[in-house]
Amino acid sequence: MESLSRFLAFLADAIVNIGDWIRGLLLGAGLVDPWVSLIMKAIGALVVAFFPLMVVVFLIWAYRKVAARMQGRLGPNSSGTWAGPYGILQTFADAIKMLTKEDIRPQGIDLIPYNLAPILVVFASIATWAVMPFGPRLIGSDLNIGIFYILAFSSAALVVFLMAGWSSNNKYATVGAFRSVAQLIGYEIPQLLAVLTVVMVTGSLRMQEIVGQQEIPLLFQLPVTAFIFFLASMAEVNARPFELLEAESELVCGYFIEYSGMKFGMFYLGEFMNSTAVAALFATLFLGGWRGPWVEQAPILGTVWFLLKMGLMLLLWMFIQITFPRLRIDQMLAFNWKFLVPLALANLCVIGLVNKGITEWFPGGVSTWTRAGILLMTNVGIFLATWGILAALERREQRRRETWRAAQVGEVEVSA
Amino acid sequence: MTTEVAPEPADLLTRLQERFPGAVEPAPEPYEGLIVARDRLVEVATFLRDEMGYGYLSNVVGVDYPEEVNGLPPRFEVVYHLFQPTGGPLTLHVHADRENPVVPSLVSVFPAAEFQEREAWDLLGIRFEGHPDLRRILLWEGFDGHPLRKDWHEVYYEEEKKPFSSRWPEGHPVMAESRAPLGRNLRYPPGWSPEDWRPTADAWGYRPHDEVAEQRNPAMPVDRVVLNMGPHHPSTHGVLRLLATLEGERIQKLEPILGFLHRCHEKIGERNTWLGNIPYTDRLDYVCSMTNNWPYVLAVEKLMGVEVPERAEYIRVIMGEFTRFLNHAVSVGFMCNDLGIYFTVMLYALEEREFILDLFEMTAGSRMMCNYMRFGGVAHDMTDEAVGLARELAFERLPRFVDKVDAYLTENELFRARTVGVGVLPPDQAVAYGCSGPLLRGSGVPYDIRRADPYSIYDEFDFDVITAPDGDAYSRYLVRLGEMRESLRILQQALNRLPDGPVMAGKKKATLKVPAGESYGRIEAPKGELGFYVVSDGGPNPYRYHIRAPSFINLGVMGELCRGHLIADVVIILASVDITLGEVDR
Amino acid sequence: MLEQFIFVGVLLVVALFLPVVLIGLAWLLRPKRPNPRKSEIYECGLQPHGENWVQFKAQYYIFALVFLIFDVEAVFLFPWALVYNWLPLYAVLEGVLFIALLAAALVYAWQKGALEWM
Repeated sequence: MESLSRFLAFLADAIVNIGDWIRGLLLGAGLVDPWVSLIMKAIGALVVAFFPLMVVVFLIWAYRKVAARMQGRLGPNSSGTWAGPYGILQTFADAIKMLTKEDIRPQGIDLIPYNLAPILVVFASIATWAVMPFGPRLIGSDLNIGIFYILAFSSAALVVFLMAGWSSNNKYATVGAFRSVAQLIGYEIPQLLAVLTVVMVTGSLRMQEIVGQQEIPLLFQLPVTAFIFFLASMAEVNARPFELLEAESELVCGYFIEYSGMKFGMFYLGEFMNSTAVAALFATLFLGGWRGPWVEQAPILGTVWFLLKMGLMLLLWMFIQITFPRLRIDQMLAFNWKFLVPLALANLCVIGLVNKGITEWFPGGVSTWTRAGILLMTNVGIFLATWGILAALERREQRRRETWRAAQVGEVEVSA
Repeated sequence: MTTEVAPEPADLLTRLQERFPGAVEPAPEPYEGLIVARDRLVEVATFLRDEMGYGYLSNVVGVDYPEEVNGLPPRFEVVYHLFQPTGGPLTLHVHADRENPVVPSLVSVFPAAEFQEREAWDLLGIRFEGHPDLRRILLWEGFDGHPLRKDWHEVYYEEEKKPFSSRWPEGHPVMAESRAPLGRNLRYPPGWSPEDWRPTADAWGYRPHDEVAEQRNPAMPVDRVVLNMGPHHPSTHGVLRLLATLEGERIQKLEPILGFLHRCHEKIGERNTWLGNIPYTDRLDYVCSMTNNWPYVLAVEKLMGVEVPERAEYIRVIMGEFTRFLNHAVSVGFMCNDLGIYFTVMLYALEEREFILDLFEMTAGSRMMCNYMRFGGVAHDMTDEAVGLARELAFERLPRFVDKVDAYLTENELFRARTVGVGVLPPDQAVAYGCSGPLLRGSGVPYDIRRADPYSIYDEFDFDVITAPDGDAYSRYLVRLGEMRESLRILQQALNRLPDGPVMAGKKKATLKVPAGESYGRIEAPKGELGFYVVSDGGPNPYRYHIRAPSFINLGVMGELCRGHLIADVVIILASVDITLGEVDR
Repeated sequence: MLEQFIFVGVLLVVALFLPVVLIGLAWLLRPKRPNPRKSEIYECGLQPHGENWVQFKAQYYIFALVFLIFDVEAVFLFPWALVYNWLPLYAVLEGVLFIALLAAALVYAWQKGALEWM
């Protein structure tokens, strides 16, 4: 009985306990502390680095399966060739195929950036996972500039895409690379401003602190901010309505058109990894990360909640990928600069003032729920104001179009 | 298109003879229409367009008569088919010298002639004076000879007409290919070898683009880039090559370069027997083979004077309208593919298509290459089971599909953002370029051959001609959506009234005699006006067999539609024009 | 503090190592049969015509410039947001004023037509 309860206690915080056990083992083997902690860090780094890799292997399968079901197909399955139950081994088969594909090196390329780009794209997306909180005590490294670190590494993708596209000496790749400049840097601003709003409300750049502040998930306090962040992130990871860098039907493959074999695989991997990282970031910033019922009793549940929230965001990402058309470059830029950036700026100002106003108005302090309620009301106000402005603009445009059409009809009548 | 009352043919002839004395005479039997003097052609065409209301040049075809055929001297002949908004064709014949064929170009009057005159130059070697850009269009620069001339012989040339006696040496067939090893089946011009050949910018068609690329915009000096889209591109719907000059992402000049799928269908058709051509027509627009058979049998039936039994006419209408439905459904699906909704809409469309193909299989025995219609009827009767499936599709399943597409796409913000105002084609330009089908009706021109010049039994059905005013990609989508609904309306009426009776006039015959003469049969195919021009010399094979392919002629306006748009719009415009390369390159 | 950065350093090494290993493995396993046809630049099956590395379009650069205004100033906003909870109201108002200046830059660029795609 006692062994069972001890086992349960072990299980309740399994990952941390396994870590502690390994540390004990190393110390028992007679190693001194700086080395032990270095080895522990190396093991942790391996786990953190392989985590997104494993998620992506599963994600690619899930994406295919979900897409197939939404399109009235079966997707990967075990009939015909054997790919495991429900075709779950399909991704591994693809990985093996890519490993054994010839690496075709096109003529006239710029060798160094060409070869560096596929390495850096995976490097940058793994690096963002260093500060992602998986559980109450489970985080690679709780840097005091955590969110800033993530933003810095996620914008490294831009440089990689530019390197890949420009060095490929291909016209389609060049167009893809230029589009990446316009799109990725453009959407970084609303993303940054949305994160700033979160930082302002939670008062910290530290990831664990941001999670800790979310007694009520920020999605319910700052829905407009969450919306801005979500849209900007979709553009940052090159997902469907903003999938202009690849744009299969126009640019064939965009910036990585000249890559083959495993180098192509790296870009494919990087894309899915970035999507996973953004889903995890959204779950952390707006859905309360690992927070959920019974986390106090069993911290391992925190990891489960975190993965569930991340999976939810990935499912949303899949649905959008499968059903949305792509925007054109001018529409994509106009949407960013003329809608998302002004909205994000206004949102930052209003939330900043209202939040400070609450503090000033109630000198004795105010309950979390009251503050959240007021913030939510403010968000509803911002939403309604935006809606009103957009509807007014739409009406004006409609009128303009009608007068134009009337003029056209008049012309035709005159000529007849 | 002006709406003027069609003058009587006799009246038209007297008016023309008054206006152009000595230049116009009626064509002798068995030909139809008028013979126009070569040097007055442009004036006559302008007069016909401006004052007689013949505003639509449908078809331009060259015919080679190296010897005396049907009582006329050796010559090259160019035949033009002109139409009014309603009413039958006016056929103009222009004769040219056999040794040095030169005919004035009609491009200045009808821009529709541009591609077709290039085709006639390419395949027959008729030189059109005043054509702005007389290059080969289906064959490559450097091809030796003009293949549709009667004295041009292909590599395996055996005899003028099928069936070749060498194919049946001992009573069973032998393939000609087994006698000639692969790799030696090409004929090159003397002194030319593919290994030494380095294509010049001219041969690839780069020269006009280089000229455009050199002119720079002084306000924002940017290098222009010449970019090939296709032949191996995911969204050119086949092996179409679009050669574009870009400034940034904006198209400065774009032209379609054709011929990657060229197989000289018309030469094959001239070798074949009349009946043997029907399966070949299936391969033109391989998405809708039923409507490919139809105009061909229509043209030959006109020559033969056969009456088609009523049940056969109904079955033809049923098959034709199902084909229109599946073509439009797949077309909308592919448009969504090009918009970036990869395969979601498309697979739903393909699912419906599978059911329609099941119906075709039940009736014709084949799913895609149906080979169903015959001169004087159809090959097989529709079974009760097939009628049951057709009823279920037309009354239950397909209306649901149309409503679903309508609900999800028509008011979709992103879909509208990408298609509204993209590739605007003004109505007058659409008519001048000879566009047809949803492309023409999407520009607000209510021209549908089923209504304007009813063939078969279309005058008995109640349906609307769908138009949309704006002429952009979205309008064309709306027209397709509306036409799917109208097709279902026609189908429902036809299935409710389907009479009993024979499906074939007379007995089935392997060879048949077609009286000498010429004939142009046209129908409103899903992609536009599909016309077959056939000339018979009374023999067992067509003397001339020409196809007026809607995809080919609709592509003529592609360069105009794309100018000033972004790369992303090109694929949408192409999808909204809706082409099949089997038909374009023939 | 430094200890936490050691972990990040280790992770970066691992993250660099992982793709290198994968590509290296592919390098060992893959067939190597280059030929000039295969290594042509892809342009839909035809040989590319004209130079690719050209002066493509300045507009992308203009967007990059507009971005720079925001990016540099956003860096100044981060410390402000961090200490926001301890700031008095007037300091928050000052921050808002700063953002308004940013917005003015955006409006200026908008009016100048820099945000119109040409």
